[in-house]
Amino acid sequence: MSAPSFAEEVREIAAQYPQSRSAVLPALRLAQERHGGWLPPAAFEEVGEALGLTPAYCLSVASFYDMFHLEPVGRHLVEVCTNICCGLEGAQGVLEAFERELGVAPGETTEDGSVTLRAVECLGGCGWATIVAIDDRQRRAVKAADVPALVEELRGA
Amino acid sequence: MPELHQLVLAGADERDLTRIDEYRAVGGYAQLERARGLEPQAILDQLQASNLRGRGGAFFPTGRKASFLAKGTGKPTYLVVNADESEPGTFKDHEILLRVPHRLIEGCLVTAHAIGSQNVFVYLRGEYLDCFEVLRAALEEVHAAALLRGVTIVVHRGAGAYICGEELALLESLEGKRGQPRSKPPFPAVTGLYAAPTLINNVETIATVPKILELGAAEFAALGTPDSTGTRVFCLSGNVVGGGNYELPMGITIRELIYDVGGGMAEGRPLKAVIPGGSSFPILTADEIDTPLSYDALAKVGTFLGSGVVIAIDDRCCMVQLGLRVAQFYMHESCGKCTPCREGTRWMVQLLRKIEAGEASQGELDLLLSVCDRILGKCLCPLGDAAAMPIASYVDKFRAEFQAHLDEGGCPFAGESSLEDLFAPVDQHTQQPVAVGVST
Amino acid sequence: MASSELVTVVVDGRSVQVPKGIGLVETALAAGVEIPVFCYEPRLGAAIGACRMCLCEVEGMPKLQAACTMTAQDGMVVRTAQTSEKASEGQEAVLEFILVNHPLDCPVCDKGGECPLQDLTFRWGPGNTRMTFPKRTFDKPIPISPTIALDRERCILCYRCTRFSDGVAEDGQLIARNRGAQSMIATFEDLPYRAPFSGNVIELCPVGALTSTQYRFLARPWEIQNTPSVCGLCPVGCNIHATTREGKVKRILSRNHPEVDQGWLCDKGRFAFPHLYADDRIVDPLRRAGRRRFEEISWEDALDEAERLIRGAEGRVLLALSGSETVEQAYALSKLARQGLGSDAVVMPEPTFAELDAFRAPLSAIGAAEIVVVVGDQPVAERAPVVDLWIRGARRAGAEVLEVTPSGDIQAPPGGAPEACRALARDHDEVGTRLREAQRAVVVWSGSPQGIGQLAALASTLGFGGKPGSGVFYLPATPNGRGVAEAWAAAGEGGATQPTHVGVLLISGDEAASDPQVRDLANRAESVIATTMFRPSVSGGFVDLVLPGTSYLERDGTFVNLEGRLQRARRAVIPPGPDELAWTAQLAARFGVEVSPYPAKVFEEVSAIAYGGVSYGAVGERAELVERPPVPASAGAGTAPRRSAGGGPLQLLRYRPLFSGPAVERVPELQFQRPEAEVELAAQDAQVRGISSGDPVRVSSNGTSVELRARVNPRLVAGAVRAAIEHVGALAGGVEVSRVSGGRKVSGDAEPEASQ
Ligand SMILES: Cc1cc2nc3c(=O)[nH]c(=O)nc-3n(C[C@H](O)[C@H](O)[C@H](O)COP(=O)(O)O)c2cc1C
Ligand code: SF4
Ligand code: FES
Repeated sequence: MSAPSFAEEVREIAAQYPQSRSAVLPALRLAQERHGGWLPPAAFEEVGEALGLTPAYCLSVASFYDMFHLEPVGRHLVEVCTNICCGLEGAQGVLEAFERELGVAPGETTEDGSVTLRAVECLGGCGWATIVAIDDRQRRAVKAADVPALVEELRGA
Repeated sequence: MPELHQLVLAGADERDLTRIDEYRAVGGYAQLERARGLEPQAILDQLQASNLRGRGGAFFPTGRKASFLAKGTGKPTYLVVNADESEPGTFKDHEILLRVPHRLIEGCLVTAHAIGSQNVFVYLRGEYLDCFEVLRAALEEVHAAALLRGVTIVVHRGAGAYICGEELALLESLEGKRGQPRSKPPFPAVTGLYAAPTLINNVETIATVPKILELGAAEFAALGTPDSTGTRVFCLSGNVVGGGNYELPMGITIRELIYDVGGGMAEGRPLKAVIPGGSSFPILTADEIDTPLSYDALAKVGTFLGSGVVIAIDDRCCMVQLGLRVAQFYMHESCGKCTPCREGTRWMVQLLRKIEAGEASQGELDLLLSVCDRILGKCLCPLGDAAAMPIASYVDKFRAEFQAHLDEGGCPFAGESSLEDLFAPVDQHTQQPVAVGVST
Repeated sequence: MASSELVTVVVDGRSVQVPKGIGLVETALAAGVEIPVFCYEPRLGAAIGACRMCLCEVEGMPKLQAACTMTAQDGMVVRTAQTSEKASEGQEAVLEFILVNHPLDCPVCDKGGECPLQDLTFRWGPGNTRMTFPKRTFDKPIPISPTIALDRERCILCYRCTRFSDGVAEDGQLIARNRGAQSMIATFEDLPYRAPFSGNVIELCPVGALTSTQYRFLARPWEIQNTPSVCGLCPVGCNIHATTREGKVKRILSRNHPEVDQGWLCDKGRFAFPHLYADDRIVDPLRRAGRRRFEEISWEDALDEAERLIRGAEGRVLLALSGSETVEQAYALSKLARQGLGSDAVVMPEPTFAELDAFRAPLSAIGAAEIVVVVGDQPVAERAPVVDLWIRGARRAGAEVLEVTPSGDIQAPPGGAPEACRALARDHDEVGTRLREAQRAVVVWSGSPQGIGQLAALASTLGFGGKPGSGVFYLPATPNGRGVAEAWAAAGEGGATQPTHVGVLLISGDEAASDPQVRDLANRAESVIATTMFRPSVSGGFVDLVLPGTSYLERDGTFVNLEGRLQRARRAVIPPGPDELAWTAQLAARFGVEVSPYPAKVFEEVSAIAYGGVSYGAVGERAELVERPPVPASAGAGTAPRRSAGGGPLQLLRYRPLFSGPAVERVPELQFQRPEAEVELAAQDAQVRGISSGDPVRVSSNGTSVELRARVNPRLVAGAVRAAIEHVGALAGGVEVSRVSGGRKVSGDAEPEASQ
């Protein structure tokens, strides 16, 4: 059996809901995975086509949510929580350590396209600060001193 | 010393309750079986009698909310679990989902039976990939164990928006729209998901339900205080030794939680302030920490229990910086639908930045309070208030520190504050079409 | 929902009785209190309570409430900003927040002088601003289409425009993007907002953020005049205001007729007016001076020439009408031909069907219906655009909407409307039963009238005659075909005759002049007199005398829309020369027929015969629909559809696009709305031919062919292909479609090439 097409996969997801429009977020997530971590214009057309919505509608939805990227991102995504609890426990130092190690500012991607660094709002791990999510996997109690090793790990991956 | 008293998290320290057989070994799914033999109303009566109140933030009596569900509409009734946990300081649902997923599922099935629902949606915070995997595996086990009996449980992942924790924004998002709150009324109990009657509850609320059946409403209600019955999974964070989630009966004091349960302040530093409830709520000074963590007691000191949060802040933190960072969060998360919140949060950030830089006039400090006041009570949903209330409280309780910024022409912490230069996502670089100069 | 039960509400101390459940904003108005609003617009669906401008105090509720989201309940006590300090503070706060990011460029803003925000600021706003930080800035203004400009700095994010796009027109093109303070109105990838109703967002915008590119900087509100009239470009007859300045039309606005248009206009009606000022407009009479050449002549000479040509024909006169004339114009011409020249020979723009009048209903009946069935081959939005909005509204309100059409929910073959009606009329048909049982049911027929008797038969079988909420609508092809037919009938006795030999052909209007059938007759006529607005309509050497025509915006008179509603058009601007009525009156006098040059007089003559004597003045600015006649005893006779024969296996559905015709062609900024040069194919037909969307294909029949781009439409019934008339030339009936091998992909704006 051949792999299901994007539209088939989306329709399968949509079947879980009483109204297919509910599948917009999962469909956008799937499209983002298929497009290297971000949503180029073609992705909105695909999602729209699969769900009977306009590309404009899909963009309107996607641009509301932080986890959809409307511009290219690196192969890896490093997200540092800089909300108050992590902030009190040294998140700024962690973020700066990543900036130094990667040579980019928050929101930017390394020149080789390997890593995008982002500061993000509370990741729901306040008691285990500082939280860093690497490719959506959360690391707890990260200290600035841990950053070189984390970056090393990423570069190796 | 207060004892941990685990209901929601019971058994999780000893066993791997992510596995159905282990969960069954601690009595899991027995209440489901019992509940299915009961009349739905009998379960709702138990919930009413237990005085279980919502753990998501608003503390609304759960049984009462269920009794509002419209009947005979010819439409299905939906149960939606709010697992969008994004209130800064809150990470209890994260723990519950990771460690006792089956208790949540059992709670869903019991509640679904009680309200006559066949369709359950769990709106799970998009960033909780770990929880998603655990929940998915648990649901597979439940499916294999034939426990669903026709009920479907769909885990719907969010995509990064704090506002989607607000129940009507959540429903909009679940319907595939931008997560902007709808105006109330109509309430979800009448016009909820897909315009059908819908019960929305927090993860912890639902995960408590099987335990209420197990203990009986009276025994549950005997825990905690009369207005705040049962246990809470308290989220302790900030400059403490042992940050983490601790399940205890409600009514223990903030001091007990920080010093007895949490091991005290890190490096033995003095406690300066405590944010209870979550970042949306008014702050308390160190003098007020003998307040019990219950609804009534916190109300007396002008704040809330929220999602069971205690953020302990030590003396190194500049309150203006705290205010700025909190305001930046709400500016970032404002959905943009209603005017006061969208425009007011941005204005607050502009003012706080100027105060922090020591460039603000006396009038501008007053203006900040006026802007807060002009947001308060005028927004479509509570997010606007959630931005205005805490900031106003910081100025109120730490006025001298704000004043010092004006008088000294700069931050009195001189670069040594723990939140110094803390970068906020509102300032993040982007190539997308955006307004110029939004955050400054 | 408002009910008939009355409740008592006290607003600012004034007690009013209103129907339970009506909005609080309306309730307050009934009590003489105006609550300011920005986002509230009931035509856009449920209130969203976004702007917060309408905050009020409601007794028993601790917080201020958005009045727009509240409904009247008995005993409610409301205090608005006028009597409540708290509400007044709330309103002041909201206004301040709105102005925080709103530029103070009122003096150069098109909205200045007619801007609710400006008015409110003037009345309630703070004298000075407390906001000293930089405001949001954007590139501005940006075109979001050739007809609409967007100034994001002025936008107050009331979401009216996006709610219109999403929830009324349902085109899903104009969106809000980003979140919070970064929220902005946008289109996908900055592509133009291309949809038939886009222009309504300009009127919906409560500030000067969305403006008309045609109107920008042209006029200030105090220099203009608004003439109430009706649109003359399609059979809906939307009510309009024509804004004029210094004798020129500057814009068209809607003028809400709740039964007809609800205040919406299509972009043709809104943006096509510049055709009045087209370069190729004929302003002087023209006489043929050589094979392909005209010379300008005076009106005196023109009338002499007309008289000469007509006299030469000795009664062998054929009148060809367009269906865009006013009733009065058509009557005057018909009277001249029938009474003065003794000729009953006429080419009507289209047939009309009096037997449907017994099931007449206002268009708003569609919006209120429980069930709506659409039959026919022509897309509703292309033919009578606002009807499409009514149908969408019905669906959103919970009605069952079923399209039994070639690309409908139930696929019908081309020409399948009569059969669809016959099937619905059968005893046990499921949908038919629901139509019969509903109190409010509507059937819309959009397409060729071939077999329309079945529609009358269906309505009669379903008992629509006795149900005022139920009705049928036939969507005609021309704006006033019905009024024109009634005028012609009123101008003489008996029916039309077929001319055997055409002495002189009198062509009225550009549409008739461009009609292939009329052109055919012209070639056989001894002489031709034509009244047209534009030169190309009379090019080709077939006309001997041209009398300049006028536009509906330049005429006074009446139109009869598709409901059968008689509506009044008013002259917004003076035409460049005498109008049709004026010179017809003079010409008629030369043949001893009395025709008044005054529309009111002419109307009274027609009305006495055709409209029960209603006076011109009584037609009114918001015309009412006349009562239904009784159901005719003979309703039920219907002819079987004729299958069109042809040279290929696929039936070509030709449709006349909304964005076509002499007016649209002359407005450069509307060209982007014209249909792509494409042909739609059913999935199955495309597959067997190895065609996919975007492929260049040849559509051919009997040796004639055109090259177009293919678009696979999964909803289209197998065996049918569909294309705009302008792209398929004379092709009709059965055609074959084949892939052009090795062909380039045809681009969207490529001209179709017709080859023999
Ligand atoms: C801005 C905002 C964010 C919220 N976020 C959450 C959340 O993340 N999780 C949650 O359970 N409730 C959240 N709530 C509260 C919900 O609106 C709702 O009251 C709650 O889910 C009801 O469940 P409960 O009665 O079990 O507490 C939020 C409310 C607001 C106004
Ligand atoms: S208060 Fe804020 S988040 Fe809530 S509706 Fe208004 S803009 Fe949106
Ligand atoms: S008019 Fe009521 S909130 Fe906008």
